[in-house]
Amino acid sequence: MSAERRLRELGLVLPPPRKDRDNRVRMLRSGNTVYMSGQSGPLDAEGRPLMVGKLGRELSAQQGAEAARHTALDCLGTLKGQIGDLDRVVQVVRQLGFFNCTPEFGDLPAAMDGFTDLMVAVFGERGRSTRSCIGVAELQAGVPVEIEAQFEIRD
Amino acid sequence: MSAEKRIKELGLALPPPWKDRDNRVRALTSGQHVYMSGHGPLDPESKPLVVGKLGRELTTEQGNAAARLAGLAVLGTLRGHIGSLDRVVRVVRVLGFVNCAPGYNTPSLVMHGFSDLMIQVFGADIGRHTRSSIGIAELYADMPVEVEALFEIRG
Repeated sequence: MSAERRLRELGLVLPPPRKDRDNRVRMLRSGNTVYMSGQSGPLDAEGRPLMVGKLGRELSAQQGAEAARHTALDCLGTLKGQIGDLDRVVQVVRQLGFFNCTPEFGDLPAAMDGFTDLMVAVFGERGRSTRSCIGVAELQAGVPVEIEAQFEIRD
Repeated sequence: MSAEKRIKELGLALPPPWKDRDNRVRALTSGQHVYMSGHGPLDPESKPLVVGKLGRELTTEQGNAAARLAGLAVLGTLRGHIGSLDRVVRVVRVLGFVNCAPGYNTPSLVMHGFSDLMIQVFGADIGRHTRSSIGIAELYADMPVEVEALFEIRG
């Protein structure tokens, strides 16, 4: 089934694409690969944080997963804005998740599943991607997550 | 000399390939490239073989040995994915995350454990790669190092 159709069936609404600001580019294409800048989240349409805090202190792994899922929708909104049609995605290739967490928080994969599982829900088999997830000391504006992704696309 | 032959001569035992679990994929091919998810020193049941932070529980040498274990895990999964390590044309890119206590500032020395293994197995022409090494706040199950890698392969 097509990704665009799955989005509709799941009742998912993508946010508007994030705009480039000055020299900060949200994504670019090189060959058949699309590289996305780190998308932090969860943010509202104006880029204000909807959730702040560290996993293992203010936030649970479950809340981290919700933040990661929100970030995935944001990422797809930006991608769709530039390539027009998510059915051009051949494969989600790579995901790198940075989580704002305490030095003792070890359950990063569970938080990352929020992003990973949404990609599979939308793209099916083509959404199954390699990934890494790490805990970092701090992120912009105190948000819990930032995720970088790479997609293979066709013309 | 071929990589598979070198592995035999060095007496290296590669662990079994990491299995995909649910939507967590360990390796995928896009064009001529194989992307690997982050691998660390875990046994086949995903239990850590080494735990702790550099600069607190672990010394640089212990971290270096853990990075070598991560390298063996990567090679085990890669071989399972492509059949033979002799198909590797180039180790292209390595990104190493080192679980550091604040103030520990030699993650590169830890990552040499991974890089040196690649050069031992593939030889300098194929095994030498670009690399970044960063100290981060936390990893899954408190393992000391996680490594993401990108390989170029031939058909």
